[in-house]
Amino acid sequence: MSETEDLSADVPATPELLRVDGLTVGYGREPVVHDVGLTVSRGETVALIGESGSGKSTVARAVLRLLPRGAWAQGSVTLAGHDALGLSEAQFRRLRGRVVGFVPQDPASSLNPVRTIGAQADEAARLLDLPDRAARRARVLEVLARVGLDDPERVHASYPHQLSGGMLQRVLIALAVLPGPDLLVADEPTSALDVTVQQRILDLLAELQDSLGLGILLITHDLALAAERADRLAVLRDGRVQESGPSRQVLLEPASEYARTLGADVPSLHPDRFDALRARRSLAPGAAPQIELRGVDRTFRTGDTDVVAASGVSFAVARGTTHALVGESGSGKTTAVRILLGLETPDAGEVLVGGEALGRRSRAQVRALRRHLQLVYQNPFTSLDPTWSVERLVREPLDRFRVGTKAERAEAVARALDDVGLSRDLLGRRPVALSGGQRQRVAIARALVLRPDVIVLDEPTTALDVTVQAGIVRVLLELQARHGLTYLFVSHDLGLVRQVADTVSVLERGRVVEHGHVADVFTDPQHPYTRALLAAVPRAAQHPTTAQHPVPAQHPTLEPVP
Amino acid sequence: MSGRHGVFVARRVGQAALVVLLTYVFTFLVISVLPGDPVTSMLRDPENGFSDQDVQQIVAYYHLDQPVLVQLATSLGRFLTGDLGVSLRTQVPVTQLLGDALPSTLELTATALGVALLLAVVVAYGTQFLPPRLGQGIVRAVPSAALSVPSFVIGIVLVRTFGFQLGWFSITDPDSLTATLVAGVALGIPVSAQIAEVLVANLDHERTQDYVTLARSRGLTSRELFRRHLLKPSALPVLTVVAIAVGELLGGSLITESVFGRQGVGTLVETSVTGQDLPVLQAVVVLAAIVFVVVNLAADLLYPLLDARLRPSARSAAPVTAPARTLSDAVAGAA
Repeated sequence: MSETEDLSADVPATPELLRVDGLTVGYGREPVVHDVGLTVSRGETVALIGESGSGKSTVARAVLRLLPRGAWAQGSVTLAGHDALGLSEAQFRRLRGRVVGFVPQDPASSLNPVRTIGAQADEAARLLDLPDRAARRARVLEVLARVGLDDPERVHASYPHQLSGGMLQRVLIALAVLPGPDLLVADEPTSALDVTVQQRILDLLAELQDSLGLGILLITHDLALAAERADRLAVLRDGRVQESGPSRQVLLEPASEYARTLGADVPSLHPDRFDALRARRSLAPGAAPQIELRGVDRTFRTGDTDVVAASGVSFAVARGTTHALVGESGSGKTTAVRILLGLETPDAGEVLVGGEALGRRSRAQVRALRRHLQLVYQNPFTSLDPTWSVERLVREPLDRFRVGTKAERAEAVARALDDVGLSRDLLGRRPVALSGGQRQRVAIARALVLRPDVIVLDEPTTALDVTVQAGIVRVLLELQARHGLTYLFVSHDLGLVRQVADTVSVLERGRVVEHGHVADVFTDPQHPYTRALLAAVPRAAQHPTTAQHPVPAQHPTLEPVP
Repeated sequence: MSGRHGVFVARRVGQAALVVLLTYVFTFLVISVLPGDPVTSMLRDPENGFSDQDVQQIVAYYHLDQPVLVQLATSLGRFLTGDLGVSLRTQVPVTQLLGDALPSTLELTATALGVALLLAVVVAYGTQFLPPRLGQGIVRAVPSAALSVPSFVIGIVLVRTFGFQLGWFSITDPDSLTATLVAGVALGIPVSAQIAEVLVANLDHERTQDYVTLARSRGLTSRELFRRHLLKPSALPVLTVVAIAVGELLGGSLITESVFGRQGVGTLVETSVTGQDLPVLQAVVVLAAIVFVVVNLAADLLYPLLDARLRPSARSAAPVTAPARTLSDAVAGAA
C-alpha cells in the first residue's frame, strides 16, 4: 500500500506513535483519571482494560481531544511527535483522521442517520489530496471493498439504518483508515456485536494493522479478548493504571491484586469455577421435566417478508437444573422465552409447565401459573421503575397476587433481600442510588419473592462488569441449591454458559441446531454453527503461548444482510 | 416501492379530504343547533332592512323551512361544487369576499413565517457559536422572553416606534412593502420563539450524539459540523412545529390585521361576526380547516423525502427516532 507510506511521511522515524505521560483528566473539580502513562508503537496493539467507570474511555477521549465540554486534561500526550494537549484546536484538527483515527463503540449511533454512508465517507476522503469528487468516490469505494463489504456501491448509497451492525462497524473502520492514519483508537469496537461478527471485525483490524503498519490503542472491558488481540495490556481501575506489561505476563502472572481478580472472574478462563457450588444441589435422577417446549413454531410478518422466529423448537428442562439457550441476535432466543412465559402465542406446538400443557388452561389458571414462572430481565438500569423504592419494587408481586398479610409481605421482602445478599438498609433506596450489581440483585429478589419454581434469566449479567457478574452468578447458584429452582438461562456468553448450565440448546434462525449436556456440546460440537460460535470465543486464555488469529469460519447465515 | 409510496400518498390525501368534509358538516350542525336561530332573527330584524320577498328568497335558497338534514345536503352539495353561498349582509357571493380578503392575509402569513424561520435559525446559530458565558446566555433567554409577549403588543410597539415616531412606513398605506414587513415581524416573533426553542433543544441534543463526536474525529470544523451534521436532524422535528404554527399565524393575523389596519380575512371575520353573517363565518372556518389540513399534509409528505428512515419502503425493523407525525395527530393537536 504505497499511498499509505506517502501519507505517513510527516511521522518521525521513531516507532513510537503515542506516548502518554502523567495524564490526569477530570470533569469539574474531581479528577477521574490519575497519572496514566502508556505508549503505542507502529504495528503494535496496546489494550487498555478496565470495568465501567475505570476511566478507560476518558483516556481514549483525552488522546483524541474529544472530551465533552467542561472536562480538562493535564500531563502530556505526544502523538506522532506532536504535543497533542498543547496544540490549538485548529492545529490539532489537522492531525484528526490523518494521524489518528477513531473507531467508536456503538456502530448504530455513530453515523448520522439522515445522511448516506457515501456523504459521510466523503468527509474522510476530503482529508486526502484527491483532485475531485469522482476521485474521492472511487477511493471510498475501494476502501469499502477493502474492509470486506461485498457491494460497495450499495453501501455507499445506503443510509445507516439499512445496514446490519457488523456492516456498520466495517464502514466505521473504513472511514477511520481511509485518510491513512498512523494510529487507531478503537473504543470497545465490538462489544455491541454478536460474537462471530466480533471475531471477524477483530480479524479485519489485525489484518489492516499488518498491511498498513497501524498502531492500535484498543479500549475494552474484556480481558480474554484483550489478551488474545493485544501485544501489551494496561489494566485500569478507578482511573489509575494497576499494572501494565506484555499480554501473556499480565494474564498468566499478574502482579497486582486487581489483575488477578479480573482474570479469575472471566468465565471463559475458568469453566469449572462454580462446580463446587453446583455440586451442592440435590438432583433427583430422572425427574420429570419442569418446563418443556414441544415443536413450537412462530412466524412474524414484517412488510412483505416472513421472519421465522421459531421453527419446531423443542427442549425440556429437568426440575432443579439449568438449561441454556444460546445463539446470536435474531436466532429466536427471546421468542422462545416469550412463548414460555405466555407473552406470545405459538402458531403451533405445546408449552408444558410442571407436566401440564399451557394452551388448555384458562386465563386465570395461566395467571396462577405465572406466579411460578418469573423473569429476570437483561438490563437492571431500565427494568426497574426509577421512582419506586426497593421495598415497593420487591413487594409488588406479592401485592399483585394478594399474598399473605401486610406483616407477612414485609417479612417475605426482607427474606428475599437476604437471599440475594442485599442489606435490609437498602429497603428505602431508589434504583438510582444503587450500583448495577445491586439493581440486578433487586430484580432477582423481585422474581424470588413469590417463591417460584422456574426463573427465566434473560442475559442477566450482560449489562454488568465481569467482577459484578461473578457475584450475581454465585447468588443465583446458591439460590438454586437452596430452593431447588429451575433456570432457563438465555445468554450469548458461551464461557458463562459453560460455568452455570447443565444442558444447552443452540439456536440458529429459529431452529435448535444442537442440544445436549453442556460438557458434550462444548467439547465435541457437531453442528458447524456451534463450532463457529465456540471458535469465536477469545481463546488466548486457554493457550496464551500459541495465541493466533484464526481464519474466520465463513458461515453465510451469521451476519444477516437486509 | 413506488407503488407503496403511491398508496401512502393517496391515503394521506384521502384522510385530509375527509377532515375538511367533516369540518364542514360539523360547523353546519353546530350553527343549526345553536339556540335562538340567529339567521331568522336577523332576517326578521327590521333594522336590517330585508323585505318579506328577500326573506322568502333566502329561506327558499337555503331550504330553511326544511329539516336540518335536507339543508345540510343542499349546502354540502353546493360546497362541493365550490359555491359557498351569499353573504347575508352584503349580498355578495362568499367566494368573492374571500377571494378579495385572502391575498392580503396570505401575504402577511407568508411574511411572518419567513421572518419566524429566519429569526429562529439566527438564534439557534447564536446558541451554538457565541462565547458560552456571555453571548449564549443572552441568546438562549431570547425565545422564552419573546414567547411571553403577545403579538398585538409587539405590533402596537412597532407601529408606534416605526410608524409614528420614526416614520419608516406609511400607516395610511398598510399594504406597502415596509408595512407588510413590520406586520410580519409582529406576527412572526412569537412563532419564531417556538421554533427556536425546539431547534435549540434539538441542536443541544444532537451535538452530544456519537456520530457528531465521530465526525469531529474526522477533522470537521464546528461550522462544518453544524452545516453537514447538526442542522438537518435538528430541523426535521421543526417541520411539525411549523405546520402547527401556520394555524397560529392565521389566528394571529386576525388581531394583527386590525392593529395594522389591513383589509384581510381577519377584518372580514370581524365584520361578519358583528353582522351575524353566518355563510361567511362558516366559509372562514372551513377555509381555516383547509389551510391547516393542507399544510400538515405537506409536512407529512415531506418527512419521508427528507428522512430516509420514514420512507414506507424502509426496513420495518429500523429504529425510527424522528417523530413521525400523522395527520390524525395534527388534527388532535388542533382540537
